[in-house]
Amino acid sequence: MTHKPPQDAGDRLDDALRALPPAVEPGHDLWPQIESRPGRPDPARAGGTGRDRWLWQAAAAILLVVASSLITATFIRRDTGTPVAVAPTAPTAGVHAVPVAFGPTHVLSPEYDSARRQLSALLEQRIGRMPASARQKLEDNLAELRHAADAINSALAEQPGDPLLEELLLNTYQEELSVLAAANQLSVAGGSSSSSDSSRVQL
Amino acid sequence: MAGSIAAFEKLYRLHAARVHGLCLRMTAHRETAEDCTQEAFVQAWRNLPRFEVRSSFGTWLHRIAVNAVLAQKRRRAEQLGAAGSAEDEVADTFADLTVTDPGAHRDLEAAIAGLPAGARHVLVLAGIYGYSQAEVAAMLGIAVGTCKAQLHRARHLLGARMSLDEERT
Repeated sequence: MTHKPPQDAGDRLDDALRALPPAVEPGHDLWPQIESRPGRPDPARAGGTGRDRWLWQAAAAILLVVASSLITATFIRRDTGTPVAVAPTAPTAGVHAVPVAFGPTHVLSPEYDSARRQLSALLEQRIGRMPASARQKLEDNLAELRHAADAINSALAEQPGDPLLEELLLNTYQEELSVLAAANQLSVAGGSSSSSDSSRVQL
Repeated sequence: MAGSIAAFEKLYRLHAARVHGLCLRMTAHRETAEDCTQEAFVQAWRNLPRFEVRSSFGTWLHRIAVNAVLAQKRRRAEQLGAAGSAEDEVADTFADLTVTDPGAHRDLEAAIAGLPAGARHVLVLAGIYGYSQAEVAAMLGIAVGTCKAQLHRARHLLGARMSLDEERT
């Protein structure tokens, strides 16, 4: 017969496990060894198609933007507790919806396009309530995502129908929607989350 | 190619500590964990065309890291000629375990490192990194039922060990 720990002990154990930091820095920088490993892709091959180069760059850009957006979201959430002067700032170009493409052969769904336009319009109305620094970061992030989408679209024009490119582009557009939705939610202190359902739209 | 290397290095910088943390806890051995971390990033680079961007890049990297740990474990078992005991192999390198915090977390990290390998792997992935049991089973190539049993075993052993430590202090 096994001894079963009481429920609270199990909960404490779960809490303790969750409290462990998932990231543990290696004792030394492993990058030089990774870079010099013979198993890594052949530079000539990778440079031949050009896809790996920008694919990694785009993936890195998206990750950085998402990470940055999370930081911005935290910053905005913290700031919404304090009164913020509502400056009648004219919305900058970074918030406006810009035309989106999906390579030369595909069209984005009307549902996505509609959600994106609505979120962009809402954000345009509300962005003036954000602290200036948060607004700047948000605009930078959106610009970065749109730059990544442009780069992927350019590559898709060269390699039409490439499934990896298409997936990455979908992902980029979804991230843009998520950033727009999160910004809309956070820009209204205690406001309703009218846009949360739009963060994952079937493209 | 220079741009590709720079972009990949950015990804490495973003994810290295988390991947290393996972490898370290799964292997309970510093040098092995570093080898597995390196291997994971090399494999990730090599297998980039298979990356399905619908899933998180971090999750994809973790899957590769888990494969690197399991492959390393198989190699070690072959070298030792003791494949039968590999599943229950207990980490033999407590002293070599890098703990994240010499204070509050040290006992727990040491207790996790002392678990049998199978139970430790499941506990690390589910308990610390938050993967569902179905995800853990898929990552480790085991049945969900086996995963549940291993998790139960790990929690039981860990609970007993931690209680014992509390009584001693």
